[in-house]
Amino acid sequence: MKNIYFLFLVVCTVSYRITCAQTDSLVNRSPDIHIIELKEVIIGSVQKQNTDRLLQFYKANSSATLEDILSRLPEMNLIRRGPYGMEPSIRSFSGGQLNVLVDGMRIHGACTDKMDPVTIYIEPINLQSLQVQTGNKGFVNGSATGGTLNMKMAEPEFTQNNTLSGIFNSGYQTAAKAIYESALLNYASGRWAFRVSGTYRNNQDYRAGGGDITSFSQFRKTNYSLSAKYQPDDNTYIKADMLADDGWNIGYPALPMDVGYAQARIAAVTIHQKRGPWQLYNWETKVYGNYIQHNMDDTHRPSVALHMDMPGVSHTIGAYSSGTIQLPKKQSIVLRADASSTYLKASMTMYQQNQPPMYMLTWPDNTRNQYGISASLYLPIDSSLSMQINSRADVISYHLVSTQSKDQVSILGNSSGRMDFLKNISIQVSKKISKKISHAMSAGFSEREPTASELYGFYLFNSHDGYDYIGNPSLKKENTLQADYSINFRTIKNTIQFHAFYSQIFHYILGSRENSLSAMTIGANGVKSFSNVSRAFITGAEATAMLKVFTKTDLISTVRYTYGRLTNSRPLPYIAPLKNITSLRYQSNRYSVQLEYEAAAAQNRINEDAGERNTSGYILLHLRGSYDFLLWQKQVSLQSGIENILDKNYREHLDWGNIPRQGRNLYIQLKFSF
Amino acid sequence: MKKHSPLQILCCLLLVSITYMSCKKDAVAEPDPAAGLIKQSEGYAIGAATKVEIYTESGSITTGYNKFYIALYDSVSGIRIDRAALQLTPMMDMGTMQHSAPFENPTSENASNHLFACSVVFIMPSGSGQNWTLSIQVSNLSTNKNGTLTVPVTVTEPAHKTMNSFTSAANGGKYFISLVQPAKPKVGINDFEVVVYKKISMMNFPPDSSMSITLYPEMPTMGHSSPNNVDPVHISQGHYKGNVNFTMTGLWRLHLRFMAGESVADTTQYFDVEF
Repeated sequence: MKNIYFLFLVVCTVSYRITCAQTDSLVNRSPDIHIIELKEVIIGSVQKQNTDRLLQFYKANSSATLEDILSRLPEMNLIRRGPYGMEPSIRSFSGGQLNVLVDGMRIHGACTDKMDPVTIYIEPINLQSLQVQTGNKGFVNGSATGGTLNMKMAEPEFTQNNTLSGIFNSGYQTAAKAIYESALLNYASGRWAFRVSGTYRNNQDYRAGGGDITSFSQFRKTNYSLSAKYQPDDNTYIKADMLADDGWNIGYPALPMDVGYAQARIAAVTIHQKRGPWQLYNWETKVYGNYIQHNMDDTHRPSVALHMDMPGVSHTIGAYSSGTIQLPKKQSIVLRADASSTYLKASMTMYQQNQPPMYMLTWPDNTRNQYGISASLYLPIDSSLSMQINSRADVISYHLVSTQSKDQVSILGNSSGRMDFLKNISIQVSKKISKKISHAMSAGFSEREPTASELYGFYLFNSHDGYDYIGNPSLKKENTLQADYSINFRTIKNTIQFHAFYSQIFHYILGSRENSLSAMTIGANGVKSFSNVSRAFITGAEATAMLKVFTKTDLISTVRYTYGRLTNSRPLPYIAPLKNITSLRYQSNRYSVQLEYEAAAAQNRINEDAGERNTSGYILLHLRGSYDFLLWQKQVSLQSGIENILDKNYREHLDWGNIPRQGRNLYIQLKFSF
Repeated sequence: MKKHSPLQILCCLLLVSITYMSCKKDAVAEPDPAAGLIKQSEGYAIGAATKVEIYTESGSITTGYNKFYIALYDSVSGIRIDRAALQLTPMMDMGTMQHSAPFENPTSENASNHLFACSVVFIMPSGSGQNWTLSIQVSNLSTNKNGTLTVPVTVTEPAHKTMNSFTSAANGGKYFISLVQPAKPKVGINDFEVVVYKKISMMNFPPDSSMSITLYPEMPTMGHSSPNNVDPVHISQGHYKGNVNFTMTGLWRLHLRFMAGESVADTTQYFDVEF
C-alpha cells in the first residue's frame, strides 16, 4: 500500500523535505497541535506522528468529504444543519471562537445562517494536512478563544522532469445515490511544477436509517484548483494558488430554506525561503484575496408563506509573513505578522403582491480590519524539560460602510463602529518523565472579538431554537482562561495519549431573550439579542490509543467527553456527549479489511433555551475493505464498504432539527493512478 | 494742483471697496426661497395691497395635515413683505351646511426666509357639492392695511390615510388626529409626529395637549413590529413627537393608542406608511 502511494503521489524534492521536517519538528513539540498529514509521501519524510496513524484509519474512503474526516478527530465535532456544510466545533467552541483558515488565509462565509463554513471549499483531494490547534496554542494565527483549524492546501510536486502524473477517482454511494468524480494532474518541468484538480459531487436526498427518505438533503458541487510553483533556487519557492468552488441546489433539511447557488473564488501568492534575511528560517509571506457569494432559495419548499431572496457576499484581502529565528542554546522564536480586511453584506427581500418589496440588510454592510502580531518562544531548559511561551496581540476594528447600514444599525444602538485591542498569552511546560512517557501542562489567556452577526446581525433566524437574532453593537470581547494537561505513553508500536482541559470563559456571548420585541420571521418564537453572559466553563478530556495488536493488525480508539456550564448552572448548549470510535484494521500487501465501531452516549444535559432536545445514544458499525491491483501497468485501487450496517436511525446531539442521519450505505470506489 | 488729503483718499478707497463689495454681493443671486416648493395658488388680498402666493411641498392637497408656505408681495412695487400677521380660515361648503377645519396660523409675524409657514388639517376630501376654500387674511404690519384672499382648494384622498377622527371613550369629545412625520420614511430611526385637535364646534378645533399616546408599528403582512420605538409626547400646540423605527422597506401600520389620563380614549387608530 505504502509503495503504491509512493508511485503516484510523487516524491518531494530533497530540499523541500528538509523544509517540512524543520517546520514540523518545531510544531510537533507542542501537544496542543494536532497535524494530520493526508499524504503519506510527506509522512514518510518526517517522524511518524500519532495523528498520521489516526488518519490512515479515518480517511475512510477516498470519496470521503472533509467533514467525514474532521468528525473523526478527537477534538472536533460538527454542527449539522444538512448533510453538507457542517460547521466545525473544537472542544465545544465554534463560530467566532475559532479561526478556520485555508493555508493561513482568512475566509468569511457569505451566509448569515452559517450554511457555508469555510471547510466546504476544501476537498480532500486539495488538502495536504489539517492543523488543529487547541487551547493555549490556538490563538497564534489569530485571536481566538477556542482554537484554530488550518487546512493546508496540497502543493504542486517536483516529480521526474517533464512527466505528467495523476489520479482519477470515481465512486458511488447507495444511501444518497451519490456520484463522486475527481481528478488530479501534476506536471513538473525544470524549476516549475503545476497541479490541477477537479471534483464533482452529486448527491440525491439520502435514505435515513429505517428507510425514510430525508427531503431537502441533496446537493451538487464542483471544485477546481490550480496551483503553480516556481523554484528559482533551492532556498526559495514562489507559489500561486487559485481555487474555485461552486455549489448549487444544496438542501438543508433542518432549515426553512436551501441554497440555490454558492460560489467561492480564492487566490493567493506565496513566497517561501528556507533561509531568509536577518537569521530568519522558513520565512513565508503570503498575499491573498477571496470572494464568496451565497444565495438562499425557498422556491422548492412547500407552503412558503412569503417568498424571499437572501443573497450575501463576503470578500477578504489579507497578507501574512512568518518566520523562525534560531537563538543560541537551541532556543528559537517563531514570529508572525498578519493583516486582513473583510467586507460583508447580506440582505433579504420579501415579496407580497400589490405591495412594495420588503427589503432589509441582514448583515448591514460592514468592514472588519484586523492587524496582528504573534511570537512563540521555545526554550529548552534541559534534555527532558522545555518551555514554550506564546503571545499575540490584535487590533480589530469594525466600520459600517453605507448610510443605509448605519441608519439600520442605529435602531439597535451605537452605529459608529468600534475598535478593540486583543491580547493573548500562554505558557507551556513539557517534561519527559522516561523514555516512553512525557507530559505537558499549559495555562493561558485569550480573547476574541464579537463577529459581525453578533454585533450587527439583523433578525437572523435560528431554526434550532426558533428565534430571530439581533446584534448588539456594544458587546464586550469574550475572553478565556484555559489550563491543559496531557500525558503521552509511546513505544515504537503503541501510543496512548490522554488530554484534559479546562476553560473558564468570561463575557461569553450568547443569545438572550428580548420579550418586548416581536419576531420578524413568520412562526418564530421570539427575538433574542446577543449579550455577554458573565461566565461559562467548559471542561473535558480526550484519550487516544493506537495499538499494533498483531503484525498486520492495528487497533485505534478515541474517546472524548466534554462538560459545559453557564454561571446560572444551566448546561452550555452545543456540548456533544461521550463518544467513542474504535477501529480494527487488518492490512496485507494487496488488501485491507477494517471494522469500525462508533458509539455515543445519550445527551440529557441540554439547554432548552437554545432549542436543544435530548439525544439518545447510538451504536454504529461500519465495514470497509480495499483491494489494490495493476491494470495496464497502472495502479488501481478498489474500495468498498458498508456504513451503518445496522441501519440505525440516529442523530448526533449537535445536529439541528430532528433530522436522522444517513442509514445503511454501501459504497464502491475506484481509484486509478498513473 | 490741489493735493488730496490722506483722509479723502481713505474715504475714496472705502467707498470704492464698499461699492465693489455690494456689487459683488448683488452679482450672487439670492436663492429662491420657494425653490423645491410648488405654487398651489395665488391672488390679491384686496385692501392690503398684497399679492399672496401659496406653496406646498408636494403640489397636492390631501385630507390630513398639509403644510403651506405663503409668500407676500407689495402689489404695486412687487417688493417682498416680510412682516405681516396672517389669519387662516379653511371652510367646507356643503350647500346646506358649512364647517371649518383645524389649522395653524404662522407662528411669527416675521417671515422666515421670506415665507410664512402655516398648516391646515383638511378633515374631508372635496367632492361634488363639497367645496373647500382657504381664506387668508393679511395684515401688512408696515402699512397697517388689512385684506383677505379666498382661494378654492381641491382636497383629495391620499393613497394611505393620514387623518382620522375618534370620539373619546373617556370624555365623549371628538378628536381629529393627523400624521405629520415621517414624511420621507427610511429604514432606520424616523421622526414620528402627530397632531391632535379637539372639535369644540363646527368652526372651532383647538389643539389638544391632554393625550398620552402609545405607538406600535407593525408590518401587517408579517405581523411583526420593530425595536426601540419612542412613544410620542406632547411638544406644543397639539404636536406630539417620538421616534418610529422601520427595520425594512414595505408597508408599515403605525398603531396608536390614546389615553386621557388613566382612562382609555381610543385604541383603534392607525396610519399606514409605505415605502
